[in-house]
Amino acid sequence: MTKTMSPRLRRHENISGYLFLLPSLVFFLGFVVYPMAMCIWTSFTDANMNSNTKDTFIGLANYVELWHDPVFLKALWNTIIIVVVSVPVVCIFSLWVASAIYRMKEGTLSFFRVVFYLPVVTGSVAVTVVWKWMYNNYYGIFNYLLKGAGVIDKNINWLGDPKYALGCIILILLTTSVGQPIVLYVSALSNVDSSLVEAAEVDGANNTQAFWRIKWPQIMPTTLYILIITTINSFQCFALIQLLTSGGPNYATETVMYYIYYTAFKLYRFGYGNAMGVILAIFIAALSAVQFRLAKED
Amino acid sequence: MKKILALVMALCMIFALAACGQQAAPAPAANDAPAAEAPAAEAPAGATEISLWTYPIGKWGDEATVKALTDAFTAETGIAVKVEYLTYADGDDKVNTAITAKQAPDLVMEGPERLVSNWGANGYMVDISDLFDDTDKSEINAAALAACFAPNGAAYEYPLVMTAHCMGINYNAFVEAGADQYINKDTHTWTTEQFFQAVQALYDHFGGTVGAVYCTGQGGDQGTRALVNNLYGGTFTNDEHTAYTWDDPLNIKALKALYDQDGIDFDASIVGGDEIANFYNGIFKMAFCWNIAQQLNPNSADTGAGLTLNGDEIVFMAFPSEDGTAKLQGGIWGFGIFDNGDPARIDAAKQFIKYMCDSEHTVDAVRASNFFAARSAAEGTDLSGVWADNEIMNEYTKLMPMLGDYYQVTTNWAGARAAWWNMLQQVGGSDGSEAAISAAVADFCGQANNG
Amino acid sequence: MSKRNGSSRGYQIFSLVVLIVLALLFLFPLYWIVTGALKTPAAINSPTPQWWPEEFTLRNFQVLFSKRSAPLFQIGSLTGPTIPGAIRWLINTVFMAVMAMLLTCATAAMAGYALAKKRFTGRVILFSLIVAAMALPKQVILIPLIREMSSLGLYDNIWAVILPTVGWPFGVFLMKQFAEGIPTEMVEACRIDGANEWRTFTDVMFPMIKPGVGALAIFTFINSWNDYFMQLIMLTSSSNLTISLGIATMQAENSTDYGLIMAGASLAAIPIIVVFLIFQKYFTKGITMGAVKG
Repeated sequence: MTKTMSPRLRRHENISGYLFLLPSLVFFLGFVVYPMAMCIWTSFTDANMNSNTKDTFIGLANYVELWHDPVFLKALWNTIIIVVVSVPVVCIFSLWVASAIYRMKEGTLSFFRVVFYLPVVTGSVAVTVVWKWMYNNYYGIFNYLLKGAGVIDKNINWLGDPKYALGCIILILLTTSVGQPIVLYVSALSNVDSSLVEAAEVDGANNTQAFWRIKWPQIMPTTLYILIITTINSFQCFALIQLLTSGGPNYATETVMYYIYYTAFKLYRFGYGNAMGVILAIFIAALSAVQFRLAKED
Repeated sequence: MKKILALVMALCMIFALAACGQQAAPAPAANDAPAAEAPAAEAPAGATEISLWTYPIGKWGDEATVKALTDAFTAETGIAVKVEYLTYADGDDKVNTAITAKQAPDLVMEGPERLVSNWGANGYMVDISDLFDDTDKSEINAAALAACFAPNGAAYEYPLVMTAHCMGINYNAFVEAGADQYINKDTHTWTTEQFFQAVQALYDHFGGTVGAVYCTGQGGDQGTRALVNNLYGGTFTNDEHTAYTWDDPLNIKALKALYDQDGIDFDASIVGGDEIANFYNGIFKMAFCWNIAQQLNPNSADTGAGLTLNGDEIVFMAFPSEDGTAKLQGGIWGFGIFDNGDPARIDAAKQFIKYMCDSEHTVDAVRASNFFAARSAAEGTDLSGVWADNEIMNEYTKLMPMLGDYYQVTTNWAGARAAWWNMLQQVGGSDGSEAAISAAVADFCGQANNG
Repeated sequence: MSKRNGSSRGYQIFSLVVLIVLALLFLFPLYWIVTGALKTPAAINSPTPQWWPEEFTLRNFQVLFSKRSAPLFQIGSLTGPTIPGAIRWLINTVFMAVMAMLLTCATAAMAGYALAKKRFTGRVILFSLIVAAMALPKQVILIPLIREMSSLGLYDNIWAVILPTVGWPFGVFLMKQFAEGIPTEMVEACRIDGANEWRTFTDVMFPMIKPGVGALAIFTFINSWNDYFMQLIMLTSSSNLTISLGIATMQAENSTDYGLIMAGASLAAIPIIVVFLIFQKYFTKGITMGAVKG
């Protein structure tokens, strides 16, 4: 199409295209791209909190140090775990819930849809306070119920034990992430052409076969969209960590996002924190590109 | 639908205007103190408004109390004070972001560990050594005075109040478990041996966690530091306050003893505030994050001061040490001035400090804090009797002579505090062997020294 | 339950039971917040859970409304009457979320249209940049952003939270996906009829992508309401805080008033839940269309 455009039309498309983009670009370039550029620049300096010293250019020193910083590597590893665990679990869980509820009566369907959406709208700060109480080592509801059921005989310090802490954070993240995917899947499933499903059943396909052969391909675009939003969401778990564990115990819940903040405002090493930010940004950009490629191919 | 939308839009425009108007104001949000406006208008040229950020130091975190104090100041000087209230959970972050944005407040109220060794050392505070004349220097407690001065001779804080941090115990529980025999309720002291015997007795009687070494947080570290250092006489820094010395074998011995003791748990899921909450609701029988202000304030269920939720008596205690005379961690609180480059506002802030810390009004400022005055007298007013009518405060004066070295001004204090928490977490998560504890201590102490 | 679905009755009952258990787990935090807000301090601090408040009290709300005060508004030197801080914070939060929502929808709809239907130079590069930045957590650009807002004179101003939210390119991405689903012929037909570019957008394009805009509106509103981090680093004055930050400032030294937090959390959660319930239908309809188009 591009090749067939006359120069006049091309100029017209350029001008009108950028005019429509302008308002959005102002914000995007001003408050995302520009700070990101500053972030890249600062990552090559030793910028810090001290007003008595000038920032000096130190080349790749921050990046070299990062490579040897066990806490950063742990944080990167935890960040990857959170994404790798939460994204598929959210997708599978919400698909299961959606397929269990999408043929229910409107009222019931609406009830479940709202219920699963509630943690999203309740707000992370409020939800976190309740979960902190539920996980409490001494009188939390999980220990109370598990002990009552005889599953455990000694209280588990959920957030204080490196074995469980990250899992606990991921669980909260899951409850605040599945709301939207469920809504999406319910709609996608109800839009599946039912005559195709019936035809398959006539051909003797059982439920599972009908699902994979007929429904799955039709809800594929929804799945890809959910993959993208869930990935975005799983990088936004800062408030949970900040309010519950501060990255502990023993860095078990340290994520790159929190470590950047910690490095900047507890250790006052701005340059070093920005270097982490650059690494994280590259990592995320690559991930987004892969996901988008997948969506595109489909 | 469209009407609603139009209404929402209209409302938004109004608030947009409000927000913009605010932005256009000369000083950062300069028009926020309605009560202070009238006198401010009459005031002579110069700074008519300064901002003050306070941490919750006794009632200095309570709007009504602080407003009464600042209103009185405004009435006398014509300088309006806009107060913001910080918390220990995110107060440091707020000050740090404000500094990064070059929007730091004019005045901040906290201790030398932040004002002198952090913001002062990083070059953000105004040297206020000109506020200390020879009379002041003789009146102010020597330890508090020393802590307010940086190694370069500049003063970054003017002290108002001070205290010695202590422990709290649930006395009823001690009696019930027969552990009261191990404490001296009169002198509020005990030895290391008595402490462990008491914990054991409480553990044998109640089971569960008697006391928790909380391993996370922003503040509250003074409790765990004092506990570990006092048990066997270890030190936290050297005498010159130039290096951290937690790798002292006596500290490692203390950490191991705590780790091995039934009923003492290293808990990485709680901060000092959670410890207090669990102490109040009777789960913990002792609290390491205690001080006199908490002893005086009503508990979280408003059932009275010095009591747990179900009415058990709380007794404050010195930290245990081998000979029973602890070196308590001092808390010193006062004011410092951020250098915002405006001489008029700096001058107004100095007037504020003079008014609160060194005048006949100091009595009220001290009373608001629930701590002791950091000086014997201010401009002819004797301050030793501020709390004369208060029985608990009188009782507490028994602990004040045990005030130890105020070492929280050592270089890299903020980094050292972060490393201290991480060290406790690693010790708590280790197998408790001496090798593991030594390794954790050496590692993080090294980080504190190199940061 | 549909008979067409051949799955066994046993499985259906099983899944219903699991669903109900899950629903309880998801409902619990909100239930606990609202009942907690009405409990006495002794009940809320008690180590044995009180599943239903034995004694109802409004004490927490009284503290919430009396502990901090703020002026209703400030325009220049004009200052409004003093009101409870919590009310001002709620107004700030609503203002922030609504402005972020309106600006995001307006700019993203236009940009999405341009990216989908306009063949301008640099389109591919720009779109790649948008995709790459879509999932970027704000912590990455924390320090430059604080400095930028400071030099714009916007630090400690609610706009410092709104502007970066609007700049976040996810909305543009979403709108582009929607706009691509609209047949190009329709746009071209309109142009042949002599309508100018703006008319083409407002009369043809916008009505067709409206469900998508609705979805983006709710998405942005909720995200901005919950964006604790940006609020934390950008706002300091008690008259500029949002509700979640404001509640956090009410903590005393080393003690947490859970009743107060619950009251504040209820105050913050209930408006947004009401918004969600009202716009629920819009939301489900809008978001589906975009997703199906892929």
